[in-house]
Amino acid sequence: MSWRLRLERSVTPSRTTVLLVSLLGVVAALVFAVPVFWAYKVSPWTAYTTIAQRSLGSWAGFMEVLRRAIPLMLCGVGLTLAFRARFWNIGAEGQLLAGAVAATGVALFTKIPAPWLLPAMFGAGFLAGALWGAVPAVLRLKLRVNEVISTLMLNYVMIYIVEWLVHGPWKGKTMRGFAYTDFFPAAAQLPLIPGSRVHWPTLVIAVGAALVVALVLSRTRLGYEIRVVGQSTDAARYAGIDFLKVMVAVMVLSGGLAGLAGVGEMAGVHYRLRSPTHISMGYGYTAIIVAWLARGSPLAALFTALLFGLIFAAGDIMKASLQLPAQIVGVFNGLILFFIIGSELLLYWRIKWERGWTGKPGSSGS
Amino acid sequence: MDWQTWLIGIVGRALAYGTPLLWATLGEVYAERAGVVNLGIEGMMAMGALMAFATAQTTGDPWLGLLAALAVGGVLALLHAFLTVTLRANQYVSGLSLTLLGLGLSGLLGRGWEGIALRAPLPNVTIPGLASIPLLGPMLFQDESILTYLGLLLALVLWIVLWRTRWGIVIRAVGEAPGAADAVGINVALVRYLCVVLGGLLAGVAGGYLSVVYRPAWTEGMSAGMGWVVIALTIFASWDPLQAVGGALLFGALYHLSFRLQQWVAPELLKLMPYAFAIVVLAFVGLGKAQRRRGAPAALGLPYVRGER
Amino acid sequence: MKALRWTLVALAVFGVLGLAQAKLKVGFIYVGPIGDYGWTHAHNEGRLIAEKTLGIETVYVESVPEGEVETYIDLLVRQGCRVIFTTSFGFMDGTLAAAKRYPNVIFAHCSGFKRAPNMMSYMADFYQVYYLNGLMAGALTKTGKIGYVGAFPIPEVKRHINAFTLGVRAVNPRATVHVRWIYEWYSPPAAKEATEALIAEGCDVFAFTEDSPTVITVAAAKGLLSFGHYSPMYDFAPDYVVSGQLVHWDKIYVEFLKGVLEGKYTTKNLAHIDYWWLLSQEAVELGAKPGMVINPKHEAALKAVKVKTPDLGEISVYDLVYARLAQMGAPGVSFDPFQGPVKDRKGLLRVPEGFWLSYDALITMEWAVEGVVGPWPGEP
Repeated sequence: MSWRLRLERSVTPSRTTVLLVSLLGVVAALVFAVPVFWAYKVSPWTAYTTIAQRSLGSWAGFMEVLRRAIPLMLCGVGLTLAFRARFWNIGAEGQLLAGAVAATGVALFTKIPAPWLLPAMFGAGFLAGALWGAVPAVLRLKLRVNEVISTLMLNYVMIYIVEWLVHGPWKGKTMRGFAYTDFFPAAAQLPLIPGSRVHWPTLVIAVGAALVVALVLSRTRLGYEIRVVGQSTDAARYAGIDFLKVMVAVMVLSGGLAGLAGVGEMAGVHYRLRSPTHISMGYGYTAIIVAWLARGSPLAALFTALLFGLIFAAGDIMKASLQLPAQIVGVFNGLILFFIIGSELLLYWRIKWERGWTGKPGSSGS
Repeated sequence: MDWQTWLIGIVGRALAYGTPLLWATLGEVYAERAGVVNLGIEGMMAMGALMAFATAQTTGDPWLGLLAALAVGGVLALLHAFLTVTLRANQYVSGLSLTLLGLGLSGLLGRGWEGIALRAPLPNVTIPGLASIPLLGPMLFQDESILTYLGLLLALVLWIVLWRTRWGIVIRAVGEAPGAADAVGINVALVRYLCVVLGGLLAGVAGGYLSVVYRPAWTEGMSAGMGWVVIALTIFASWDPLQAVGGALLFGALYHLSFRLQQWVAPELLKLMPYAFAIVVLAFVGLGKAQRRRGAPAALGLPYVRGER
Repeated sequence: MKALRWTLVALAVFGVLGLAQAKLKVGFIYVGPIGDYGWTHAHNEGRLIAEKTLGIETVYVESVPEGEVETYIDLLVRQGCRVIFTTSFGFMDGTLAAAKRYPNVIFAHCSGFKRAPNMMSYMADFYQVYYLNGLMAGALTKTGKIGYVGAFPIPEVKRHINAFTLGVRAVNPRATVHVRWIYEWYSPPAAKEATEALIAEGCDVFAFTEDSPTVITVAAAKGLLSFGHYSPMYDFAPDYVVSGQLVHWDKIYVEFLKGVLEGKYTTKNLAHIDYWWLLSQEAVELGAKPGMVINPKHEAALKAVKVKTPDLGEISVYDLVYARLAQMGAPGVSFDPFQGPVKDRKGLLRVPEGFWLSYDALITMEWAVEGVVGPWPGEP
């Protein structure tokens, strides 16, 4: 006789349950990380209070959280859309960089007059990201190229294009031979919230994008088609949906939004194109988790992006204020993620303890 | 330089650089054949590299180092299997977390091990007899690591197992149609656990190769993005162990060529070649007729729950 | 004894400021991890020595992306740092912006050229040491081809390759230096494959700019000689490392912070303070490990090669290295690698007879000297 664990699929959980359980995961991770702080002779209490005070507890700290969240919001919102259509877009990183390249091209090499320069940069950035995103969609539907590989590969292709541009044709005359483009003119720089580094126009665009995408999903024919495609390929076929059209539309939006994030980073933070690893701190990859946590809801992605903005900012504080080694940030983030996804179990599965040898032969699921 | 010397040089380097790619790709092929994607290769390789170095340096035996790498890769993969198979967590997110954790942990534990020359690296070998075959000899059998040959052998064995044995059928069934596999009495969870752990073991060795063979020293971040190349190679190789050999060699050759051809082409453009090339090849494959074997395992990335489709 | 003296100085300063005054808190912002065994590792060693010597309190942040430097400066200032060092060229503009925002904090930026009343700049440069390594490489090559694995084609690295090549050609006028770029500051696989490519091209002696000892171990495995870079790398191949270059950031850190403690440097007077420190200030050292200028294993080979020089007559390369080292190491520097006539490899005269290159010309150098073979992005 034995006890065994059995899982049953539960009904779709409510939003409050999702939120509560995810928070529970974060708290469990924080508790689990306590020995890590001990190992570095930092009191966990001091650690967590310092992080809280310097991130959410102060205006400057909160602004940093917000700034880090901006690219995550844009990429994340775009990715929720792609994931709703079951298109595994791993390529937001490359699409973001494509936007950055386009923004730089417009800022440095066109003669667009001042008031139109920034809108032109955002427009070009959207188009570049959209193009970089639409290619894998076409490849998948026309040539059956797996989108995970094509989007991942295109990230690297774009990384090296950026490297080539800053070392080669676009190397700045004023940079003394270092690998940067020249600085953008003032008209190509976004205004900041005073006393912070938050480029607010991009933030406004991000929130607007989330609203638009939410509307598209719930209120338009395209949204309906995306939802059908995402739920069942067969059903979509019956309904006579044009897969190519839907996928390309999805990836134009998804890639375009990531491209906008790239424009924001260029015009709001860096003001010049530089080595790609210093432009994006893996925002495109982190956004995958942002979108996944948001469970396909563009509006929820705004909040999960904020959560990861907080995690980035907490990492900064751990390094600078608590004098912890840089690698601890990775360990910490890894742990938090493990606990959040581990808590999935509580969300969608009801655990049952069963007694006895009633289990059928070959019974699995545990 | 005559073309033979050139060819010998390129193939030799492709083997050396391709070896860790091959080991890790073989593991990922098995994990994905059973239906589980593991994006944590980079993290497992980093931990493997550290453990191999620390153990080899402490004990003076490179083989013990590789064993340690094997073990740590397996343990990390077990974590991934627990989360994705037992807890049915999202495989992509779990893998990304594993990469974060492995890179962070290896950097953290590796403090103090950098800047040391490994006292017991695993030496390269030349196979007597075979090495004197004209052209092929110096190309394949001269001055290569034992792990290179083991890797090639392993690819053959894993190919036979996958395509010519009952075990192979079981593994593929679990990746293609877990429901049907379950119905005929296959323990889906067990098969997935085994394949994911195998993937971890091999990724660990791949990391170990970096720190006790390829460059006998430890430095943080020495896996240098190879883990991501492995993810690509797995798909590039159509989830087939023998095609993984071709893929690993091709990537190795292109990587090395980017330094050989620097005089004529901008190196950044050469470096993006393998990635662009992978897409182009897959596109050409797509132009041809549909082949079942070339496709992804149908249940890839999906957790299996009894009674659900 | 120096340490004792500075401790006394520090104590005296604190005495003046009053005991209530807390220790001076100094922050360091690094671009890489301190475990890179290269650039950041060396800066961190300097920080530790400065902390011990001066009795100050230091904090550091590692692996800071270039665009994020201001965020970290904010955090360090809020923690009470009154002096902040930022150690990457890419931090320059962020540091300048922060210097304007925090006029009461002293900033010091490494490897750049912008300054402010409260922001100085500093650099320990190797070009003289590379020249000395070049003299030895020229004497030791048998194939007449020397390999150089370069990080990025930027003026700093180009200057070093040029100085190295001038050294090579001073001893061996027909030898060539073959260059490969890896486009990374730290990448063992790239360094390894680049070295293999150079070996295939026939190179038999190696120098490099990359933060790991990869080039040394790859060359040694084939029985080929090399020169260490940045950190002590002798132990990685005791039979094959001839010499190399070592850095001592602590010399700069201690000297500058001493000035701060003594009140010589304030938030008002740094606009023209630029430490460009070379051999004569002991910020850099010739050798593959501290105290060993030339690996004794290769002394005999260097003594056996004799060259004619315009100023020192016929002399063995071994003696030449020490002679030039003495000329550049003494306070009144009487020799420079780039003393005219120097032509670039396209035949243009870059430094006329009797002239030395200016500091500005040195730090913006884009051209390649005669004898450099291989790609040279941005060549004028």
